[in-house]
Amino acid sequence: MQKKDLGLAILIIVVGAVVYLRNPLFLSPINLGNTANLVGLFGIFAIGQGFVIMTGGIDLSVGSVIALLGVLFVEMVGGYAVPWPAAVAITIALGALIGLAHGILITRFKMQPFVVTLCGLLIYRGIARGYTAEATAGFPFGASYPQLEWLTIGRSYGIPHSFIAMIIIAVVMWFVLHQSVFGRHLYAVGKNDEAARFSGIRSGFVITSAYVICSVLAAVAAIYFAMFTKSVQPSSHGNFYELYAIAAAVLGGFSLRGGEGSIVGVVLGAVLLQELQNLVNLLGIPSSLNFAVMGTVILLGVLADQQLAAYRAKKRAAQAFERLQSERVES
Amino acid sequence: MSALELRNISKHFGAIRALNNVSLTIEPGEVVGLMGDNGAGKSTMVKVIAGNFAPSSGDILINGSKAHFHKPLDAQKAGIEVVYQDLAICNNLSAASNVFLGREPVRRFGPIQIVDYGKMRSRAGELFARLKSETRPRDVVRRMSGGQRQAVAIARSLLTDARIILMDEPTAAISVRQVAEVLNLIRQLSEHGIAVVLISHRMPDVFEVADKVAVLRRGELVASKPASKSSPEEVTGLITGAIETA
Repeated sequence: MQKKDLGLAILIIVVGAVVYLRNPLFLSPINLGNTANLVGLFGIFAIGQGFVIMTGGIDLSVGSVIALLGVLFVEMVGGYAVPWPAAVAITIALGALIGLAHGILITRFKMQPFVVTLCGLLIYRGIARGYTAEATAGFPFGASYPQLEWLTIGRSYGIPHSFIAMIIIAVVMWFVLHQSVFGRHLYAVGKNDEAARFSGIRSGFVITSAYVICSVLAAVAAIYFAMFTKSVQPSSHGNFYELYAIAAAVLGGFSLRGGEGSIVGVVLGAVLLQELQNLVNLLGIPSSLNFAVMGTVILLGVLADQQLAAYRAKKRAAQAFERLQSERVES
Repeated sequence: MSALELRNISKHFGAIRALNNVSLTIEPGEVVGLMGDNGAGKSTMVKVIAGNFAPSSGDILINGSKAHFHKPLDAQKAGIEVVYQDLAICNNLSAASNVFLGREPVRRFGPIQIVDYGKMRSRAGELFARLKSETRPRDVVRRMSGGQRQAVAIARSLLTDARIILMDEPTAAISVRQVAEVLNLIRQLSEHGIAVVLISHRMPDVFEVADKVAVLRRGELVASKPASKSSPEEVTGLITGAIETA
């Protein structure tokens, strides 16, 4: 665990302790279970966003992907009675295709990630609304899919399966980012694309893969969200979710310039965001102030982190200078 | 047999002739000082040899046989390594990770491959010891001095059994003491039969280690002769154009 992650973990515990002292309901099993569920749902696609941010890019289309694929998933399972495993496979494949399209537009056609995914945000949302003619997509009355429900909204020992899924995904992605050759190359491409290419790394492939990972995880999250809400309202489902993901990654120590960040960090970032939402509810702060609280905490967190880093760098420079001085005196 | 032979190499970028009909041979273990003013075509020449650019015309011969490089990896496989001027190093990675960038050793568990950090660190440590550098494999490059970064870049090129090492301004960004170390290193490489192309503005460095000096001016090779038969004054004249050819 890096220093940054440790700081974030401490912040989570301190905030939690304060909330608990003000309202003991914070640690009640029901509240913890619900919060864990939300952490799982948001964490799944925040991890994907982390991969894209690692390359120095950004994916603004995540919320719209969650809406579009959520609508399609519900339609397939509820409307067309497609067996759910097939529907899951199709949804994830569509996610992969979307990511592939983003990646190719960005690496082959040299478009800016912001522009590509902003257009994606508009296009996927538009298709979702057009396809349903603004109607809410839902399962037929009384329909039940026991296995699918167990996998998505079920609980074991009180732990929501969405949270368990997020943990499994995080562990797999931890290996991919921190232990695999691909992960090494991702860090290199994110920081210094030219150096990476001189080293024989296929940076286009690496960057495209990051977008595919992001959209595939958004597709997985789309299924979980669709099952959680049971119905998908195409104009509002998943609105602003990409910003939650970006916020979680930035809180978790990712740099929007690329090449910095860790899986532990982005997961902790997702935890802190949900803790803040929970704080707003439990402390009786008007929920209309929700976004204001979140924005303030992120701003202060990033500011403090940068100031600390600048302070450490200054101290290091001063130490090096002193060493140099003493060497000169000796010789 | 020549380690590397360039035969009538030209490289055009639209109407700009970066290299014009350049021919040069380099023997195994030979140190060639490649000099020229800014924009004379030195970097283009390095990039052609290293496989970043395909030449517009002309041939590259490695050990007497024609080579076609479509990408840097092709040149690497032919035993050509480059230490770049901008160092081509990733600041966010450790020294060991940078040394192995693009050829990380892995441990296999069935279909799963995991980067072998232990091997990377120990091997990088050996290389730094050989370079007599104080660089520690675990340190992040961002916090290193110019000399340590240079050691990382050179260690990269030692990783494979390179036969030709191209060095673009290796002594430009480091302290005087470390310049001597880098020059020593170049001599060591040469003794092991590795040909070194040293691109530098620093005349004293070149004349201290080079067997041969080659001078580029406006894309043309105006001189290629033993260093012992040339002088800094002559090379300066060749670079500026005061002396046409030699």
